[in-house]
Amino acid sequence: MKTPLDPKAVIRDRRIVVCVGTGGVGKTTLAACFALEGARLGRRTAVLTIDPARRLADALGVAELGNEPTDLPRERLTALGVPPEGRLAALMLDMKRTFDALVARFADSEEARQRILGNRIYQHVSDALAGSAEYSAMEKVFELSEREDFDLIVVDTPPSQHALDFLEAPRRLLEFLDSRLVQILLHPAFAAGRLGFRIFQRGTERVLRVIERISGVSFLEDISEFLLAFEGMSEGFRERARQVQDRLVGPDAAFVLAASPAPQATSHALGMLDRLAAARVPLAGVVVNRVHLWPGVGPTPERVPEQEQDEAAVAALAAALAADAGADFPANDAARAALACADGYAGWVRDDAESTAQLEARVARSGGFVRRVPELAGDVHDLEGLVHVGDWVFGGPASGADAGRSEGA
Amino acid sequence: MLPLLDRRLVIVTGKGGTGKTTVAAALAIVAAAAGRRVLVAEVGLDEHLPAIVAPGARPVGYDGRDLAKGLRAMRIDPYEALAEYLGLQIGLRGVVRRVFENRAFRQLMDASPGWRELITLGKVWHLEQMQDEQGRNRFDLIIVDAPATGHGLTFLDVPRVVGSAVRAGPLRRHAGWVEQMIRDPDRTLLLPVALAEELPARETAELVQRLREDVGVPVDRVVVNAVAPAPFPPGAGDLDERLARLPAHLRIPGAPPVAVLAACAAHWRGRHELNARWTQVIAESTELPIVTLPRLAHGARGRDALSVLGHALVREGAVAP
Ligand SMILES: Nc1ncnc2c1ncn2[C@@H]1O[C@H](COP(=O)(O)OP(=O)(O)OP(=O)(O)O)[C@@H](O)[C@H]1O
Ligand SMILES: [Mg+2]
Repeated sequence: MKTPLDPKAVIRDRRIVVCVGTGGVGKTTLAACFALEGARLGRRTAVLTIDPARRLADALGVAELGNEPTDLPRERLTALGVPPEGRLAALMLDMKRTFDALVARFADSEEARQRILGNRIYQHVSDALAGSAEYSAMEKVFELSEREDFDLIVVDTPPSQHALDFLEAPRRLLEFLDSRLVQILLHPAFAAGRLGFRIFQRGTERVLRVIERISGVSFLEDISEFLLAFEGMSEGFRERARQVQDRLVGPDAAFVLAASPAPQATSHALGMLDRLAAARVPLAGVVVNRVHLWPGVGPTPERVPEQEQDEAAVAALAAALAADAGADFPANDAARAALACADGYAGWVRDDAESTAQLEARVARSGGFVRRVPELAGDVHDLEGLVHVGDWVFGGPASGADAGRSEGA
Repeated sequence: MLPLLDRRLVIVTGKGGTGKTTVAAALAIVAAAAGRRVLVAEVGLDEHLPAIVAPGARPVGYDGRDLAKGLRAMRIDPYEALAEYLGLQIGLRGVVRRVFENRAFRQLMDASPGWRELITLGKVWHLEQMQDEQGRNRFDLIIVDAPATGHGLTFLDVPRVVGSAVRAGPLRRHAGWVEQMIRDPDRTLLLPVALAEELPARETAELVQRLREDVGVPVDRVVVNAVAPAPFPPGAGDLDERLARLPAHLRIPGAPPVAVLAACAAHWRGRHELNARWTQVIAESTELPIVTLPRLAHGARGRDALSVLGHALVREGAVAP
């Protein structure tokens, strides 16, 4: 086994940190926590959220996040131990604006730009339909990484079933632009509506006829016009998509998997490990969030007692409680409830350890770090909460022991 | 508020992991037990529902299968739904098959956004229209386990978008039918499932607001799932503090150290109070009645556990805001 990476070193040394994971595991919180650590290490940090649910703004305590970085006030940063050279800015992806800016950059003329922005299809694909979040997110990350005023960019990826949609977006876009059907639709005469389908190969002709039959010929014309307008810029776009991809899988970037012990979340996470491996994306580590840990043993859960309620224990505890209480205190019921709470909690601890063992062992084997963040009694909703989560992620090297236990399990 | 059992189409939605599939399954089970002919359709790449209802059950697939009397389950796969749709539109299955085998077509579809949502809702519309030989509705109640919000709202908004992007033809007409269905309060109800924690609570408030303002899909209650029950008996509300005050050297044979007992008790009390607080916030911010479901200690799998949740779900007299 390789020496595991250290999360702190990742935050200190890399230029782009991408948090992946399915929805509901605390990816956004984790991204914010990484960004804060970056700032505390003196780096000029930007954190980008794609999450439309404003979780990041809430956690960072800024009222509104826009498409451009908003800095957290210096006093707040200082109070959290951020040195003067450190900086923390947050932004929330505005898909439409980002996509429009991309078009503006690559359109070969003002006329082409207007033609695209005014196209019916464009107006919809750029903001309303599923999938465009990923296209725009990639673009924004690249744009930020080109800037001189940030050392570290932390990215919270869109909630999606395919964790890697984000990474695969440019490739899919390119494949799309390269596809034969699109090439045909790009034919200027087609856009002008003058061309019959007959000149195409039979298969293509059939496809076009089917689409026309369902959507009406004007839809094909709109698509064609849209693609045509894109054609002038597709070279620039292609080049850009390639650069973005290179940068994201390159040595300056790190992927961190956010997971949780919920059984579905861990099976999703395992699937994600496969896909990352297939895409040859090295994983820096995993943070398993909201784990129930047995009180007092720190980040490494030991064996948890499993016991039926034992009447002698109920009686002994009831007596101890009654010694310090009034006559009407329901000591017996209270003792039972206390033991039930411990049993219930022990059940969570056992379930969590079991459901995360395989995931943790796999990440540890490949040299990634493994960190657990406990299920905290309250929510993580402010900067202090983020610091607290950070203590678990960036604090002592508990991962070695964890991994040993997991693999033994 | 029309009882859930008497609805036509219930679309269950919410943030990832809040319990959408569990709620869909629980509702399906009680509705079928009450004599309704129920279809529950899972949307997405994976099937979870059959295994929740009957641990170890085989996947049901696009064709679906009866999981119990009056309870049919299926998974709506967009490609299969598209093939079915094109088959119905064009009539020639062979042509449709060859189109699907065309590589360029696959590439185009793989890359194109939006159609998956539309075709999925189109299939739901089609199921809603289905009749049996006597001319009655084939299903009394259709339950859709929709993708997590974020995507969930996009999901419902697509028919409108298509309606404005496509100028003519059957596609536009069909998108219009779907849009009519999901906005019709007599046919459709969106059932948001939330957890009583700060961030999910806020998201639910945003969801309901956007539903009212932009998407226009009817919503009349919010399900708050997995609420931790009160952990201590009456008269012992400060049990965790009492445990913490016990002498540290005290050993109870057969029980964990008292400090651990105190920490566990404090955890449950904390969760219970947190859940109660955020349930209240959800009620106030959405101005909707709340249906709370208990957090089940031994998980929410299998017919018995789901029936418990299902009955809580359809019990009348939800907490008013
Ligand atoms: N009331 C409950 N008590 C105990 N456990 C529950 C309860 N409701 C749901 N769960 C558990 O929570 C987990 C998530 O539930 P479920 O799969 O229904 O969520 P979901 O919203 O459909 O998730 P996804 O967004 O991944 O589709 C499951 O393990 C389920 O068994
Ligand atoms: Mg589900």
